[in-house]
Amino acid sequence: MMVRFFLAAIVAGLIAGVFMSVAQEIKVTPLILHAEEFENVGEGDVEQSLSTRGSSILALAGLLNPVTTAYAHEGDDGGTLFGLGRLSGTILANLVVGAGFALLLLGVVMLTGIPITAKTGVLWGAAGWLTFQFLPALGLPPELPGFPAAELADRQVWWVATVILSAVGLYLLIGRPETWSKIAGVIVLASPHLYGAPQPEIITSDVPALLAAEFAVAALATTAFFWVVLGLLMGAAMDRLDEHA
Amino acid sequence: MATKTAKSEIASGFGQRITVAVTALILGAFFIFGAGLANSAVLHDTAHDARHAYGFPCH
Repeated sequence: MMVRFFLAAIVAGLIAGVFMSVAQEIKVTPLILHAEEFENVGEGDVEQSLSTRGSSILALAGLLNPVTTAYAHEGDDGGTLFGLGRLSGTILANLVVGAGFALLLLGVVMLTGIPITAKTGVLWGAAGWLTFQFLPALGLPPELPGFPAAELADRQVWWVATVILSAVGLYLLIGRPETWSKIAGVIVLASPHLYGAPQPEIITSDVPALLAAEFAVAALATTAFFWVVLGLLMGAAMDRLDEHA
Repeated sequence: MATKTAKSEIASGFGQRITVAVTALILGAFFIFGAGLANSAVLHDTAHDARHAYGFPCH
């Protein structure tokens, strides 16, 4: 009977992923494509002026980083999964991310014993958005291709640590009535930000600042939409499971 | 067992709840890792725009 929970979560996640794909295609992807025009210009410059200090470090970082530095390198490193095109690859990723976040949400709901219903779904969605999007974005704002950034592995470690600490911190702050818990929650929530996210040494970029500002807002807005949809769908699904149990 | 209400079956057994929780967390983390964080060029290129859109650390 436990399988019902997984199926409900996965279906909710897939549907939220479809909604997210539409929102992304309208609000986010155009900005990524626009930024890549400047990114490719920048790469040409790097090759032409390797003598300057900044671009030689960029070139070195490119050599050290096994991940391709731009989508434009597709083909050089084996291309995409199943030879998918750009849009279908993004949709597939959204479906997987949707199912993944839905399962994590189910896991936390079950672990904490705080029920998710159609009524509390929005609140759970907000908690998920804070945990996975907003709080990590305080240290590592959603970045466009071509942005200066610290070592990938360092940022990923900080991101994962911040997500886990944010989830624990929010539970301590909101999920428990004790005063000690609320104080501990604030400390846990603040700790990754007091420690500080890994920052790049050089912060210049060929990508215009206006695009960056638009992208950061668009990324946070579309993910907020995604999490609200996911929370509502999960809540509605759990209500139905309750009725039919 | 026959007198169980719907509510109590959902919450039946701490062990069952924890089993669902742990399995869901592991499976969900696996999905998120694969789509968002895995250091594979193929996975990266496929999920590129989505990785940026969710603010996963990328590049």
